[in-house]
Amino acid sequence: MSCSIPGLEDAGCLFLFGYNPNTSHPVVARRIVKAKEKGARIIVGDPRFIETARIANIYLPLNNGTNLAFLNTFANAIVTEGLHDQQFIDNHTVGFDDWWKIVEQYTPERTEAVTGIAPQLMREAARMYATAKPSAVLCWGMGVTQQKQNVESVHAIAAIACISGQIGKPNSGVAPVRGQNNVQGSCDTGCLPHIFPGYQPITSLEAREKFAKAWSVPVEKLSGHVGYKVSNIGSLIEEGKVHAFYNMGEDPLQTEPDTNKLERQLRQLDIFICQDIFMTQTCLAADVILPATSWGEHEGTFSASDRRFQRFSAALPPKGECRHDWDIIQDLSTRMGHPMSYQNTEEIWDNEMRALWERAYGASYERLEGLGSLQWPVPSLDHPGTPDLHLGGNFNKPDGRARLYASDFEQPTEMPCEQYPLILCTVREVGHYSCRSMTGNCRALSKLAEEPGYAHVNPVDAGRRGIKQDDLIWVFSRRGKIITRAEIDSRVNEGTIYMTYQWWIGKCNELTIHAVDDKAATPEDKYSACQIEVIDDQVWAERYAMESYMKMKELLAGEAAAQFGSTAAQKDSGLNSFGGSA
Amino acid sequence: MQKHMAVCPYCGTGCKLNLLVDNGVVVGVEPLDGHTNEGNLCLKGLCGYDFLNDTKILTPRLYHPMLRPVKGAPLQRVSWDNALNFVAEKLLAIIDKHGPDAVMTTGSSRGPGNEANLIMQRFTRACIGTNNIDNCART
Repeated sequence: MSCSIPGLEDAGCLFLFGYNPNTSHPVVARRIVKAKEKGARIIVGDPRFIETARIANIYLPLNNGTNLAFLNTFANAIVTEGLHDQQFIDNHTVGFDDWWKIVEQYTPERTEAVTGIAPQLMREAARMYATAKPSAVLCWGMGVTQQKQNVESVHAIAAIACISGQIGKPNSGVAPVRGQNNVQGSCDTGCLPHIFPGYQPITSLEAREKFAKAWSVPVEKLSGHVGYKVSNIGSLIEEGKVHAFYNMGEDPLQTEPDTNKLERQLRQLDIFICQDIFMTQTCLAADVILPATSWGEHEGTFSASDRRFQRFSAALPPKGECRHDWDIIQDLSTRMGHPMSYQNTEEIWDNEMRALWERAYGASYERLEGLGSLQWPVPSLDHPGTPDLHLGGNFNKPDGRARLYASDFEQPTEMPCEQYPLILCTVREVGHYSCRSMTGNCRALSKLAEEPGYAHVNPVDAGRRGIKQDDLIWVFSRRGKIITRAEIDSRVNEGTIYMTYQWWIGKCNELTIHAVDDKAATPEDKYSACQIEVIDDQVWAERYAMESYMKMKELLAGEAAAQFGSTAAQKDSGLNSFGGSA
Repeated sequence: MQKHMAVCPYCGTGCKLNLLVDNGVVVGVEPLDGHTNEGNLCLKGLCGYDFLNDTKILTPRLYHPMLRPVKGAPLQRVSWDNALNFVAEKLLAIIDKHGPDAVMTTGSSRGPGNEANLIMQRFTRACIGTNNIDNCART
C-alpha cells in the first residue's frame, strides 16, 4: 500500500475495485465507514452488490472478467473529461503518449456492452475519483489479482492514480489490501523466486556478493537465475523439473485450483515434506510431517498490509515435540552442511533483516515492543517510519518517475458455454479463513456454517433450475463435480455463482480452472465456467454430504493418530496400527 | 490469568490483541489499542483463538514428527533426529542427481512470522543453492 490503513479514513475518496473489505478485512471496513462519516466519497466497482456498495456514492456493477476494459475506460473518461493532472504527468511520469494510444480506444460508449457500465455513470465515477480532495485511494483485492489480466490491471490502476495526481501525497495512491496476515512479510523477507530480503534482486551480482558474505558462502553458491513459482508446482513435477517440495504452513490441496489434478502431481514427488500445525488434506500426501509451533506458541514479527512491522509474543509453551519453524529449518540446514545456530527471533531479525536491508534497519525489537509499530522505509533508529510512499511524486526508479503502462483487454481463459453456462467466482466469508484448519477448530466459528458450505446463486438462475433456498445442489465444471447448498442471494449478479473455498466436501477448488498468467503466476480463481443443478433426492444428498464429511474427518484423525502410536509397536507389526484407511 | 500481546493471525490488517491464558488454556482475547485496529477486533479476531486449545472439532494438531519409510507406506512416528536426517539424506541425494533446482520450498504468509521466512529463504538459497522459494500470497 502506498498509504497507511489508518490514513484511509482521511482520504477524500475511496474507490473499492474488486475488494470486499467486510469479509476480508472487517476492521478496515470499519475505517471505510468512518471515512464516509468524515465526508469521503465512496465508489464501489464489483459485480456483486457487496456490503460497502450500500454506503457507496456510486456503485458500478461491472461484468465479471472485464476489469481491464473497465479500467482503460475509466482512464479514458478522466482524460477526455479533462480531469487529468497535466503537471503531475509532465513532472513525475514517463510514457503518457504510448499509454494514451491504447487507452484512447476505450471510450465509455464503445465499451459499455463489455463492461455493462453506462457511459454517464462511468464519467461520473471518473469525475468523483479524479477531482477528490485532498486525496483519493484506489483499493483492490483478489478481485483484481486472481484474473487473467491481473498484472495489466494493476498497471492500469497505478497509471490512473498517476495521471489523476492521486498519488504522491498523504493518504493517497494505491492500496492492494493484502489478504493473509503476513503476505507483506513473506515478500519483505525474500520468500519469492526473484528477490533476496528487502526486494534486492537475485540477478544482481552486487546483491549476491552482499548476501554470500553475510551467509559465509562462496558467491557461486547463490544462484543468479530466477526460481520457480509455487503456483506452477504441479506442472514442474510432471515435467520432471522438481523432485522435492518442502511446504511450510500451506494447504494447497484446499486452496489451489484444480485440486484433484494437483494431488496426483504432488504424489509423484520423490519427497514431499509438510511442516504444519494441523493434519490437513495436503499432509495426507506428504512423506514427512514436521510438527511446528503455532501462532500463540512462538514469538516474532509480522508485516501488516501497510508495510507495518509489529511484534507478537508466545502465550503458550510448545505442545508435544513441536518446534519453532525457524529452529526446525536451521537444524536441517546444519545437518546439510550450512550451519545456523540462532537462539531467538530477535537475533534472526537483527542479522538477517535489519543488517541486510537498510530500509528496515530502524525497526529494532526494542522499538516494536508492546504496541510499537513501524512502517518501512525506516532506515535509522530515530526514523519515525513511512506511512506514505512516493511523497512529492518521487518514485522508486533511477529517474524518480513512474512508468505508465497500458494493455488491451482480453477475455478470460474459460468463457461460459452451453454446457457450462455460469461463471464460478471464488470469494471469502467473514467467519472462516483460507483452508479453515484454524477457524474450523474454533468452537464459536465452527458453528457458523457446516459442510458442504454454500454457493450464492442469483434468484433468476436458481428459479430457472428449480433450486430453492438451502437445497443441496451439484456444481460441476470441466474439472469435477461437487455437492453444496444453495444460498439464494439477490445481491449476486445473474450468471455467476460465488463460493468460498474452505469446504472439504463442497470444495470449489475441485472445479476451478488452473490457468495462471505468465508474469505473476496467479491463478484465475475468479472465473471458471460451471453449471449447477438441483439434486432430486434431497434426503440421499443430505446423507451423502454428511457421510463424505465424516469419512474425511476420520481419515485425517486416523492418519494423525500415528503420532501417538509407539514406534516399537509399529516396528513389530510392520504397519501403523492406528493408521486408519491410508 | 495471564495476558500475552499478539497480532491477529488472520488477515493483513494487523490488529493487536491480548491472548488471555488460564492454566495453560487460552480462554479469550481482548483487543488492544494497536495502530491499525485502535481497540477494535472482528469476529475472527474475537473468536479465532480457540484452535490453540486443540479442540479437535475439525482436525487434530500435529505433536510429533512422522514419516513414510517408503512411498505410500503408513505414517510412522519418529524422533526429530530420524526425521531431519531422513529429509537431509533425501534432499542431498536429489541435489546430487538432479541439481539444486530440483528442490522447491515455501515461506509462509501465515503464522510462522518474518523470522521463520528469513531462515527458510536463507536455507533455500545458501544451503540448497536455488531460488525456488515462493509463498502463498496468491491465494
